[in-house]
Amino acid sequence: MKLPNSNEHFEDELRRALRPVDAPEDFTERLMRALPADAKPVLISSNIAPRARARQFGIPAALAASLLVAVMLGKHVAVEREQIAEQQGREASLKLMQALRVTSQKLDIAYQAVQSPPPAAAEENRS
Amino acid sequence: MNARVVLTLTALLIAGPAFAQSKGQLRIPEFAALADKASESVNVTLDSQLLGMACRFLNAQDPEQAAAKKLCTGLTGIYVRHFEFDEDFAYPKVDIDGVRRQVSAPGWSRIVGARSNKENTNVDVFVLIDGGKAQGMSIIASEPREFTIVNIVGSIDLEQLHDLEGKFSIPNLEIETAKKPAPKKP
Repeated sequence: MKLPNSNEHFEDELRRALRPVDAPEDFTERLMRALPADAKPVLISSNIAPRARARQFGIPAALAASLLVAVMLGKHVAVEREQIAEQQGREASLKLMQALRVTSQKLDIAYQAVQSPPPAAAEENRS
Repeated sequence: MNARVVLTLTALLIAGPAFAQSKGQLRIPEFAALADKASESVNVTLDSQLLGMACRFLNAQDPEQAAAKKLCTGLTGIYVRHFEFDEDFAYPKVDIDGVRRQVSAPGWSRIVGARSNKENTNVDVFVLIDGGKAQGMSIIASEPREFTIVNIVGSIDLEQLHDLEGKFSIPNLEIETAKKPAPKKP
């Protein structure tokens, strides 16, 4: 159920109370007089101090950055080590082949000496 | 005094493994001074770690390298010193005799020894037999203008060495391998 009369009455009273009213003529003068002569600026500080903010965000950020750098550095070192190992392995395999060739040459000489017919003179000794 | 003895023993215990040599490994000089004098030189020192790396990088598709790969699985070291000179006997014979003395130790047997007084060449092939298996091989070859010392350490499968025939021009040394007994007739 609506009560139109009481509602309208309330709105009229509200409109009347909130109607624009011009300020009195001496309002500005009174306001200026009420202000203190030496006005100091007020410092407004946020709830989070810069140091605390750094602690809150800076340390995890630094940790994340260090972790990233460590991972990248580790990967780089691992790749470098792998390359060095590969180079050493290739050099070692070349040396191995060289060693086996020298070995085979000398075994060949021994074989020829063993296989050659005994000399007429006692110039060669074989055992 | 006691502390000094304990300290010395501890030092020896720590340092001992560093000087320990594998069975079949000879003490071969580096001959560093000879490298400058030599017209050609080969100095190969492959310990077990380097030998393992070398074997991994051998190409199995290449017959020569495949044979080497097969051979080097049981080996723990290969040491080669080979020097060639432009003049006669420019190398110290004493050092070679020092190596020769090492292969006169028990266990080592000379399987081939060739001497040529005409050409003044000596080639000796030694094998270290331990537990019925070849654990090391050494070749000492000297000529007036060159010398070679080869030391192969580890269990040398003579059959695999036999397999290298024709690949490195390794000759047939008529190495006798254990023959399977003939099946008995019923």
